[in-house]
Amino acid sequence: MNNQPPKWATNLLAWYCRPELLEDLEGDLFELFDYQCKKYGSQKANWFFIWYVFRSFRPSTLRFFNSTQTKRLMLTTHNFKIAVRVLWRNKFSSLLNISGLSIGIICFLVLGLYVLQETTFDRFHQKADRLYRSYLFENYGEGHTFFNSVTPFRFESLFEEDFPEIETAIQVRLINTQVGVFDKRINERIAIISPEFFQVFDFNVLKGSSQKPFDNRKSIILSRSYAEKYFGENDPIGKTIDIEMDEDFEPFTVSAVFDDMPFNSSISFEMAVSNELNNEIYSELTLNHWFTVSPETYILLREGTSIESVNDKMQDVVMSYLGEELQRDEYNIRFQPITDIHLNPEIPVGNSTVNNPKYVYILGFIGSMVLILACINYTTLAMGNSLKRNKEVAVRKVLGALRPILISQYLTESVIIASISTAIGTITTLLAIPVFNALTNSTLAYSFEWFHLAYFGGLGLLIGLVAGIYPVLALSRGKVLTLLQNTSQSKASHGVRKAMVIFQFAMTVFLLTSTLVMQKQLNFLQNKDLGFSYEASIAVEIPTDPTLQRMSERVVAAEQNHALLKAEISKSPKITDVTMGSHTFGSRTWAHMAFTDKNEVFRRFYFLQVDEHYLEAFDIKVITGRDFEEGSGLDKRQSIIINQAAVDYFGFENPIGEKLPGNEFGEHQIIGVIDDFHFSSLHNKVQPLVIAQSIQLIYQGISDADIGGSVLPKLLFKFQGQNLIEAEEILSESWDKIFPNQGLEFHFMDHAIQQQYESEAQLKKLITVASTIAIVIAAIGLLGLTVLVINSREKEIGIRKVMGASALQVFILLAKTYSIQLVIGIILSIPLTLWLMNDWLNNFAYKITLTPDLFIKSGLLALVIALLVVTYHTLKAALINPIESLRDE
Amino acid sequence: MDHESIGVMEELVLLTVGSLHQGAYALTILEEINEKAEKNLDVTTIHSVLRRLEKKTYVSSEMGGATAERGGRRKRFFQLTAAGKKVLDQNMSLRMELYSKIPKFTFSPI
Repeated sequence: MNNQPPKWATNLLAWYCRPELLEDLEGDLFELFDYQCKKYGSQKANWFFIWYVFRSFRPSTLRFFNSTQTKRLMLTTHNFKIAVRVLWRNKFSSLLNISGLSIGIICFLVLGLYVLQETTFDRFHQKADRLYRSYLFENYGEGHTFFNSVTPFRFESLFEEDFPEIETAIQVRLINTQVGVFDKRINERIAIISPEFFQVFDFNVLKGSSQKPFDNRKSIILSRSYAEKYFGENDPIGKTIDIEMDEDFEPFTVSAVFDDMPFNSSISFEMAVSNELNNEIYSELTLNHWFTVSPETYILLREGTSIESVNDKMQDVVMSYLGEELQRDEYNIRFQPITDIHLNPEIPVGNSTVNNPKYVYILGFIGSMVLILACINYTTLAMGNSLKRNKEVAVRKVLGALRPILISQYLTESVIIASISTAIGTITTLLAIPVFNALTNSTLAYSFEWFHLAYFGGLGLLIGLVAGIYPVLALSRGKVLTLLQNTSQSKASHGVRKAMVIFQFAMTVFLLTSTLVMQKQLNFLQNKDLGFSYEASIAVEIPTDPTLQRMSERVVAAEQNHALLKAEISKSPKITDVTMGSHTFGSRTWAHMAFTDKNEVFRRFYFLQVDEHYLEAFDIKVITGRDFEEGSGLDKRQSIIINQAAVDYFGFENPIGEKLPGNEFGEHQIIGVIDDFHFSSLHNKVQPLVIAQSIQLIYQGISDADIGGSVLPKLLFKFQGQNLIEAEEILSESWDKIFPNQGLEFHFMDHAIQQQYESEAQLKKLITVASTIAIVIAAIGLLGLTVLVINSREKEIGIRKVMGASALQVFILLAKTYSIQLVIGIILSIPLTLWLMNDWLNNFAYKITLTPDLFIKSGLLALVIALLVVTYHTLKAALINPIESLRDE
Repeated sequence: MDHESIGVMEELVLLTVGSLHQGAYALTILEEINEKAEKNLDVTTIHSVLRRLEKKTYVSSEMGGATAERGGRRKRFFQLTAAGKKVLDQNMSLRMELYSKIPKFTFSPI
């Protein structure tokens, strides 16, 4: 032998191969190696040799697979067979177990999926660990602060030029504009992004280049679904779309198509243009301004650098630009990891919505709890069952079964049950996701991958082990003699069983009470008198003349359009209370103004521009003073109305005739004070509000304005008919007469008001589902236990009846078994509920108080359900003729 | 078990062991089969089949014939046993019986 086969492969063979086979096997492989060396060369022969060594790894050659091992294998199949037979024999309890566990698993998987989806937001970017979003916190003392996650335009160049740690900065700004299609105009949301966008974020570019998505300044890129929306099956590249930019419509050429952005992305848009356009849209002043915020700015750190070094330098850099105007630490530019955006409510909302992490954790907690309840169900049922099986265990022990063998025997049963349940549970979950989404307004998405089978298998195994381990240990521990005497279980395991039942009830009642509390709070929110009437109110966006440069001119143009539409729409007798408002109820973007008053205190207030019919249209109560007078020019120019909160805030003794306490406001006076109506959601206290018919009135006096949405007037009206579709028809008919080429955009205000509590409503729905499931699981568990107890006490009942007990007495005796545990469970649930629900209610400025009746209701409900479950079998046992139960022996 | 079943692969190897008389060990069997049956099996398959046949007592084995190429390891020579011969005979006669029943005209063109 000139060449030697790889030593490690020879060793491997010697290690696993049975000694009696090794010699000739090795010999054959060596000979073949020698032959192949000559034929193919040693390199190839080496590969063949290794291949043969691996191929020889078979049960028939393995030394570990000797005869005793085969016995264990046989024992496993034997275990399996016995387990299946036992489960088949106890069809009733197997069915209960499987259904309970399956339901628990469904609940766990659905909520788990939700939690997973929420917590993995934005994690799909490969560079996610180096991606940050900047935010700006300005603090000038005395509550004079500004906090924004949209940032000045100049941050992009600031980050790229002054910080070598930062590889790229990306701007993302969303604007609402109009897109012209033939002679129609559609309102669309367009993103203005930096051209390097796709090099930083992991979104797929389907057509066109990800390096250079925009061919020139007049290029636009579309998502796949929008390419389909506008161009159907045709290739969109090179086609043009008219976009309204600044002044008039300009053609933009499609230069790239990207895949639709996933749901779990904080950055999301359907169409985008390059931010090189900024130079055309905005003035030099705006683009270099430090105090006008507009786009979100993301940064990508260079590899090997840390955000701390950027933070450390930040104040020095800021001071080098703003040192003359500002003090150190007044202008704070900070960063949050991109993965932090979705679940961090501390930082203001930017382009995308932020979820409350508390809700996510509560749901995760509930999902795990329900699964644990289902496991406990199995455990208690199995322990109940073990009464019956004491003899079986004893006989096995007498015949020489060791404890590990017994344990593996009984664990096989629980693992089989758990696996079946997991299979049923996962399949049902996958099928039920669309139903669940429809039911709870969520957007769960799940795509199956083969490796997920491993997770599901692991879950089944884990549940089987967790649920089965306690009864198995308890069962196999007993001494043969005590087992054969068939006295019931030890005190300890009895106690554990009781504790589990108590825990189960406590959790169930907790979920039940929480559902009731949420129900009550949501009803409270939806039915609370908001201080204005909004039934069947509709808000319509009014177009303006976009060629006008100044905002005030645009407002005036919109006011004129408003008058045109108002005149047309008022012709219909079913439409009343036509009025105007710069903001609508349910919108979160009411204009927020600020000024420094005469005592150098920084003051903020909300501002609403209306016409003289507004207060009347919405039945807003004037407490003192008067409403705007119709047709009064003086009122239009000089009068303002404030709410009670503003009176308290500004500290007016007698507000009528007073002025806002700023220095530079024009000629104006307060003519009336209105009740605090809830113009924002009930999460917050009513804030100071100033109402006027013209923004000019206060324009001079304010120093800062936070205008999230449009301040253009909207047409508001009420519809008196029954059928809201009719309202839509009347509206669109009038609209087409006056603005034939404009897209109509309107919404129902009651809908918008409900929307403010959407995430709470969703949470409530999820908790309702979870608590229903918990009740079903608890009922199943109770049913199983009752049947077991009755079976084991059959003779006792027979004897009692022979001795003269009535059916009622027997019933009470049996029903009593679990009522104490039930009551303890209910009592234990109270502190947990109080703690968590008070925490949840603190999200609202206006909330219900937790009254005892909620707890009594859920407690009674649990008791009634428990009683119903117990009754049937208990009655059957109580009514049975004692002969039946005593005869057989 | 009076009717031990035997697979195609097993039958092929069994026949080869029989046909090679004294010199039958894994590599000669492999070479014979690959050549005659124009197959491309690898040696581990032959090993596996031989172990099965030995367990079923259709072949017996003895060690001998170490060479330098084999690193001094002996070969395992296989021989057809009486039981092996019998199972081959049974298979053959069954096949012949069925084959003889195939009508001749099946193959003639119409």
